[in-house]
Amino acid sequence: MFKKVLIANRGEIAVRVIRACRDMGIATVAVHSEADKLSLHVQLADEAVPIGPAPPAESYLNMGRIIRATHDTRSEAIHPGYGFLAENADFARLCEKEGIVFIGPNSGALALVGDKVRARRTMEKAGIPIIPGMKAILKSVTEFEAAARSIGYPVIVKASAGGGGKGMRIVCGEKDLRPALEAGMREAKSAFGDESVYLEKYIEESRHVEFQVLADNAGAMVHLFERECSIQRRHQKIVEETPSPALDPDLRARMAETAKKAMRAAGYNNAGTVEFLLDKDRNFYFLEVNARLQVEHPVTELVTGVDLVRRQILIAAGEKLTLRQEDLHQRGHAIECRICAEDPENNFLPSSGKISFLKEPQGPGVRYDGGIYGGWEVPIYYDPILAKLIVWAEDREMACRRMAAALDDFVILGIHTTIGFLKDIIHHPEFRAGRTNTAFIKNYFDGWKESGKNEDKLRLALAAAAFDDMAAATRPGGGPAREAKEDAAAPWKTLGRWRIGGAGSHGI
Amino acid sequence: MEFEFLIDGALRKISLEKKEKMYVIRDGETILETEIRPVSENELMFLVGGRSSRVYIARDGERRLVFTGGRKFVVCESLHEAGHFLGGDERTPERGRHVKAPMPGKVIKLNVALGEDVRKNQTLVIVEAMKMENEIKSAIEGTVKKIHVAAGDLVDSEKSLIEIEPKR
Repeated sequence: MFKKVLIANRGEIAVRVIRACRDMGIATVAVHSEADKLSLHVQLADEAVPIGPAPPAESYLNMGRIIRATHDTRSEAIHPGYGFLAENADFARLCEKEGIVFIGPNSGALALVGDKVRARRTMEKAGIPIIPGMKAILKSVTEFEAAARSIGYPVIVKASAGGGGKGMRIVCGEKDLRPALEAGMREAKSAFGDESVYLEKYIEESRHVEFQVLADNAGAMVHLFERECSIQRRHQKIVEETPSPALDPDLRARMAETAKKAMRAAGYNNAGTVEFLLDKDRNFYFLEVNARLQVEHPVTELVTGVDLVRRQILIAAGEKLTLRQEDLHQRGHAIECRICAEDPENNFLPSSGKISFLKEPQGPGVRYDGGIYGGWEVPIYYDPILAKLIVWAEDREMACRRMAAALDDFVILGIHTTIGFLKDIIHHPEFRAGRTNTAFIKNYFDGWKESGKNEDKLRLALAAAAFDDMAAATRPGGGPAREAKEDAAAPWKTLGRWRIGGAGSHGI
Repeated sequence: MEFEFLIDGALRKISLEKKEKMYVIRDGETILETEIRPVSENELMFLVGGRSSRVYIARDGERRLVFTGGRKFVVCESLHEAGHFLGGDERTPERGRHVKAPMPGKVIKLNVALGEDVRKNQTLVIVEAMKMENEIKSAIEGTVKKIHVAAGDLVDSEKSLIEIEPKR
């Protein structure tokens, strides 16, 4: 087994991987940009190496610096997390060349599934159903226009090099195609360093259902059932669950077998996910392979009892898969909510600034995976995901109630978050009935505003502010406003003019 | 003491008086006697009629961010602050003239040129933050009078990006 692993990521996923390494007795090395030197993952790791300025291209995407940090710290393997270099075949190849184990699939499989267009061709050849669309990359807008016409609107623009919703745009008519292509290409370029995009038929009222697969280096393979990820905003998943309310045992078995077949066709090893689109007539189509640990992996962990990060590390270290398909079962129900630094009442604008107070929910069946702490300043440069709240319960209804209660107990002050929005999703009767599709947010949550602020709560909030005002008068600084002004001119701090810690406040 | 606050943008009066070990809250017709215990810098315990409730509080300049019973409130000190709080409101025409960055980020693309006529809801600028592109649209119909930024610029929130001369 490895003695030391470098984690080439940040935020909650870096924290998650560090914790798995600790469980396995493996030392950890964090890397961080200048914007992240005070971040939680840096504090939790055994060692930390700075790798450059805040923009991802100069730090978390800088292969040379990450490889050097790996050698300098004598780490034997790199866990890439998700995003950044996680699905970069050049990076996996570089690791192989440098004698570093890349904790993920082999570079050949990664290159294949990472190129979404090539993956579509491979899957089609293997007899796996794919969504009608382009099977080659085109260059000119004219060619795209012709392709879109032959596919038939609406079409969806997708980045060939990656997933996670980056670069995706739905186009309903020809006049919107050019700006969608341009925006998609820019976003793809900035997220993956590759601007190639392609078109697929956009299938309305569909569900997103994916299957988790584990494969060892010798070709042994199991699936760990599905995750239903239909609750999406801007093609980004925000609520995930397992089991899917849409599957019955027969459909589940057929999709699982197809997922394994897809992974075999790709020559895949380590942990990966096969994403399917399930249409309203219960036909399923291959979407793509996510060749990495997924954001939503914890729901699978909670219902199967398998630690996916640990399994990734074991497989990467060359160990044989000890799990047998017949031993794997779905036990109970799990739901995950992604807590993002966004303002759901204001078009989900990113919200950076200082988290002035944080209290995570607790209780039976409640799991919190976070990358933040109270007093930490959320940088603007990276994904807005702050933390994930995952609950497990014996059945779906209990899990929903548990999630709603846990969200009610989740306090993040200082920045806008999606907590209130998520709460209303969980409470929504259509969600409760399991009737979800990828247009759920668009259909039911357009122009959402927070509700449920009754007079009692309002009065208590006012009294608290009044009490705080009276207490402020007795503070040495004469109130909270003074320090705020000193800081007001600092760049990037407009949303985060917070006072620091205990200075000038009443005693604890 | 009498207090006048803006809570989530609405003006509210409340009175809080110390009475021996207790506090008396007067809110219109409602009068409550409560004990208030600061538990930590960010936590207050209210004891009303033997029932305790926890309130979380954080300070941001003159604003207070308060959390109780699963809900978050923004409590402002004065009308002046209210203007700042309502900064995102683009309904007034004066507001629409100055197109501002709603969050810190990087200008990716300018979609309009100086002197160009723009429609309401037309995309003017694309600002990228947290790896997602955000289209900044015009709140009004008019003509582009000034452009303060170029593609590649890093902008702070509330930074003026473009000025629009409203159509008469």
